[in-house]
Amino acid sequence: MMSRDVIDIKAEASAINTDKMWVIMGPQHPFSHGLWTLKAQLDGEIVTDAEPIIGYLHRGWEKECENRTYPKIIPMADRLCYAASMTYTHLYCMTVEKALGIDIPDKAKYMRIMADEICRIQSHLMWLAAVGTDLGNLTVFLWAMREREFFMDINVRLCGARMTTNFPRIGGVRNDIDEEFMMYTSRCVERFEKAVWDIISLIDDSSIFVSRMKGTGYLTRETCVNLGITGPAMRGNGVDFDIRRDDPYDNYDKVDFEVPVLNDGDSYSRYMVRIEELFQSCKIIKQTLQKIKAIGKNAPYRLKVPSKVPAGRAFARLEDPRGESMMYLVSDGTDKPYRLKVRSPIFVNVSASKPLVQGSRIADVPAIMAMIDMCLGETDR
Amino acid sequence: MARKDYLDKYPRNPAKTLWVLKPVGKVLRMLGKTIIHRPVTILYPYEKMWMPENYRGRPGLRFDRCVACGMCVKMCPTACIKLVETESDSGEKVRRPQVNIGRCAMCGYCAEYCPVDAMTVTPDFELSEYTREDLIYGPKRLVYEGITEKMEIHLEQTLMSDVKNGNPERRVSPFMTDRPVLEAAKCISCKKCEKVCPVKAVTMVEHGVNDKGRPILYPEFNDDTCICCMNCVEDCPKDALHINEVL
Repeated sequence: MMSRDVIDIKAEASAINTDKMWVIMGPQHPFSHGLWTLKAQLDGEIVTDAEPIIGYLHRGWEKECENRTYPKIIPMADRLCYAASMTYTHLYCMTVEKALGIDIPDKAKYMRIMADEICRIQSHLMWLAAVGTDLGNLTVFLWAMREREFFMDINVRLCGARMTTNFPRIGGVRNDIDEEFMMYTSRCVERFEKAVWDIISLIDDSSIFVSRMKGTGYLTRETCVNLGITGPAMRGNGVDFDIRRDDPYDNYDKVDFEVPVLNDGDSYSRYMVRIEELFQSCKIIKQTLQKIKAIGKNAPYRLKVPSKVPAGRAFARLEDPRGESMMYLVSDGTDKPYRLKVRSPIFVNVSASKPLVQGSRIADVPAIMAMIDMCLGETDR
Repeated sequence: MARKDYLDKYPRNPAKTLWVLKPVGKVLRMLGKTIIHRPVTILYPYEKMWMPENYRGRPGLRFDRCVACGMCVKMCPTACIKLVETESDSGEKVRRPQVNIGRCAMCGYCAEYCPVDAMTVTPDFELSEYTREDLIYGPKRLVYEGITEKMEIHLEQTLMSDVKNGNPERRVSPFMTDRPVLEAAKCISCKKCEKVCPVKAVTMVEHGVNDKGRPILYPEFNDDTCICCMNCVEDCPKDALHINEVL
């Protein structure tokens, strides 16, 4: 099924014939960030087969949305993913705006993408902290969490909450930002661009970290595309695609940034893509702050929208920190959605767990699966 | 694929160059950095973190400003707000919101959609109690000392017609523009809208008599006092009222 150009790096199966053994990792297991199970079939130390089991966190999110008016779904969309609340709220608002057929003000667009990038940075730092604990490096965990705290503070100043931000609204954003916030944010971002090198030098120069990352969890471009993997896990495999650049939404086409793509296809390249995305996000935040300043203080940031959405269908997608998330809205003309479907990136990415871990040692499974950056809130919905 | 410029800042062959000395040097540098740095953590119960005034903790109430319109009840996504009867300072019976903090999601919608800015967000986040009953905050307990202007959240929106007409700096809230409209053919003169109006903006005006000799009453709305709480629209038994949304 998979072509393995790099088979020599993978460990070879043992010559002694032993019984295959199923190891159930999860739902409560240190390696699974959230509630999910990875069944791994072992031949000695080598994983020969794997199967993910999800669904422990199913809350009936989509069904629950059908009984709520449109503004009331925004705080629910926050709770889809604890680390990427801003992007999911943004996505929901974008979908409803498409259904309404309205174009939001420029200032709101810039504020949204600024909030998105803050969210991306803090989500990637959360992931970095998790990788640190997975590899037994608690210093990485503490330092990444320390840097993340600055972005949590930005969130508090922006909208009053640290994680469940509830910031975008249908037709704009919740509140305006002031000079003090812009100054604080640009200072935080500039500080972060220097401070992140502490973490990078801690793990990138550590031969233990690099040798556990390099050469593990290989995926080829073809497998990656066939499985529908998106996000940094895909860009680490050499697929050059990013919705922010290739299908720009909300003024992403007016800011200058690069999409990191690496061709190696192992865990280390996925790690490098995420690290580089931190720097690119900083770049975007700085540009948006300048643009918001140029637009002016009294510019509109929130449009008044009708409470009822005309009957029809709408679809929007955006680049989540973890991949490509979509929402599909069917409206029947009332003030409640008829159906709201969510496509979460991790639900698809977790299907790659079999080709990812197949052929590697059981001890490498946490390090490989950490590169997917699991978030079960959005997967099970 | 062409080499990317942004990759130049990372060290080549990171793990191999001077594999012992380089990490040791870096660790020593980080050690010095950490020693002169002041601690990041705080001794929590004794020291408190600084919170901005717009921090979204539990909802707070200004008892005197509230008009019991029920907008917070309608907008609450977790349905944790309920209007209960209580006594005001002057001894009369009034209805005021009661919040079940155990279910509150701290989204701040009650403060955002309050037409009279009686509900606010507060920086109060230490809300643990011994029993679940204690988590239900009655109207008197919901009052927060020292509510400042920044704790109010205003619903400032721009009309789409204003943007089109080149007047985008005007900001309105729906409580100022949206007003109920009557379909006179459906009205049965039941006076329910007059009873439920929290700000007494509805007056029943006589428009002649019907076949049986009873007076025909149609509601008239005072645009200055109406706060667009939609109570009359929801309670109308014949759906004769609807809100005219100004867009």
